[in-house]
Amino acid sequence: MSFLEVRCLKKSFPSPEGGKTLVVDVDKFSLQFGTQSGMKGESGSGKTTFLHLVAGILKPDQGEILLDGREVSKLSESARDRLRAESIGYVFQSFNLLQGFTCLENVLLASSFAGQVKKPWAKELLDRVGLSQRMHYYPRQLSIGQQQRVAVARALANRPKLVLADEPTGNLDPKNGQKALSLLKELCRENGSALLLVSHEVKVIDAFEHQLRWEDVNQVPSSTIEE
Amino acid sequence: MFQSHFSVIILLAWRGLKQHAFSSFVAAFTISMAGGLFLSTWKIKEEAQKAFVNSSGGFDAVLGARGSKLQLILNAMFHLEASPGNLSWEQYELIRDTRGVKEAYPIAVGDNYHGYRLVGTLPELFQQHEWKTGRKYEVQGGGRIFSADAKEALVGDFVARKLGLSVRSKFHPYHGLDFDEKKRHEDTYVVVGVLEPTGTPADKVIWIPIKGIQKMEGHDPAAAQSVSAVLLVLRGAAGFQLDMKYNKQGNQATLAWPVAATLASFFDKLSWFEDILALVAFFVALVGALIVFATLRTVMHEKKREYAILRCLGASRLVVTCVVLAQSLLLSLAGALGAYLAYGGIGFTAAHLIREQTGVVMDPWSLDLGYLAFFPIVIVLGFVSGLIPALQAYRSSLSENLSPKS
Repeated sequence: MSFLEVRCLKKSFPSPEGGKTLVVDVDKFSLQFGTQSGMKGESGSGKTTFLHLVAGILKPDQGEILLDGREVSKLSESARDRLRAESIGYVFQSFNLLQGFTCLENVLLASSFAGQVKKPWAKELLDRVGLSQRMHYYPRQLSIGQQQRVAVARALANRPKLVLADEPTGNLDPKNGQKALSLLKELCRENGSALLLVSHEVKVIDAFEHQLRWEDVNQVPSSTIEE
Repeated sequence: MFQSHFSVIILLAWRGLKQHAFSSFVAAFTISMAGGLFLSTWKIKEEAQKAFVNSSGGFDAVLGARGSKLQLILNAMFHLEASPGNLSWEQYELIRDTRGVKEAYPIAVGDNYHGYRLVGTLPELFQQHEWKTGRKYEVQGGGRIFSADAKEALVGDFVARKLGLSVRSKFHPYHGLDFDEKKRHEDTYVVVGVLEPTGTPADKVIWIPIKGIQKMEGHDPAAAQSVSAVLLVLRGAAGFQLDMKYNKQGNQATLAWPVAATLASFFDKLSWFEDILALVAFFVALVGALIVFATLRTVMHEKKREYAILRCLGASRLVVTCVVLAQSLLLSLAGALGAYLAYGGIGFTAAHLIREQTGVVMDPWSLDLGYLAFFPIVIVLGFVSGLIPALQAYRSSLSENLSPKS
């Protein structure tokens, strides 16, 4: 059995004309335990919506999302919060670090909601991403590349079973992007976490053994969404 | 720090306010001012009234010329206001010998020394009278009580310190109750003692023999046989009988009795002022609550995305709501503590002014239930003003604030 299984998943949003625009229509999708998949897709084609559905941030209109045997779409909101806290790590394109907190505090916060705060582990993660000397720096005191490395460390803080990465290199230059990507893959492998990364950049997706095309997963043509 | 949800909530709330330090400070400061003003309005009047009643110097009543009881008390006991008129020496002797009168001391006023009153009385006041149960007046080391027939003075502790008077100091009294350097009397008085402090108006008086005032150079010779008032200590129900005799049936003199009730009526007359201050305090409190509300709303709106990130990390709606409520609690906590500080400042100033003007020692720090209840009331009000922003935080949609644009 797959770690993540998606069946007949549909999600639409209200359109300005008063109707509904179908954004996600995934008939079948699966991800095995510990695997790392890179999914390429155009910008604005619904990839982020798909990740939000998997993470339980959004509720689907219909369909099933089975994560480690639990049906995410049928869980209550608080159960989905718990699921994210305990089992999912998330890396955003814009890092989304909390500005009022130091690097170490950002990483510790991510594990606090699951009630498994381990300072040595948080420090180890920051050490692994090369920021052991800047643990007590605030995000504004770091470069863009360093901020994304903190975000990578934060995503792994709760030792998640699944890491979702949404255009994690989108705001980085090629060198820093490559570095962040390598770190993300390496840490996920070490931690045994499955990784699902979405990006519109071919170079990023080429770094994955298991590659997917969003167009093949989603039955909604990109042009329809953009309209 | 991150081990429990409670500590995480407090940390998030604190850092959120820190990021909006100026608005947070203004909100807490406004609560402090409103609270301080409110406490001052309410407590200072209450404490002042209590202090005045406790400063009656161990007397139950005052007999004086026909007129206002309040003026009589203020003049004879607190050495404020002008004397409403004089009584004859015979009237003093009559009340002194009345059954039910335990002690009677005549006083005469009309002169001052650099603005501090000279009060003429009998030396027995300092030898026999208890200004507080079990406490007689005491003279500081090296001094003594004046003799009834000499030009000697016994100085209150406050005046002695203010004017630098000590035993063997000499001075010329000035005519009238207000200081006018052109109205100097030729008589010379010698300080023979300084009273130990009592915390009563006696501290700010220069006591001299009653004959001194009566026969002061330049005074009307008719004054030699009159007194300004008689301070009385009564036995049992004598107050009722004397009240009937002087106030209801007679028309020669006024008996100010009971002292506490007369003073209470005086403070009641000030209630309009108290009402205005209470109204001001209410509006400042309202502004404070609105500022807390506005601050939290601003913080909430600016942090919508941050809260959404927290939700994405696994924080529940309840955690985010509690963060906003904790911020309102922290603001009101700071405001309540600030209010006590503001009240401390106002109370200290008021106590100082009252002491300077009347000699009455007020204790603005005395604890009572209302004073303590103020703290939770402010906390609850702050909590209430945080409810709407907290509710908005609760309702804010995670998907909208982390809304995917692709």
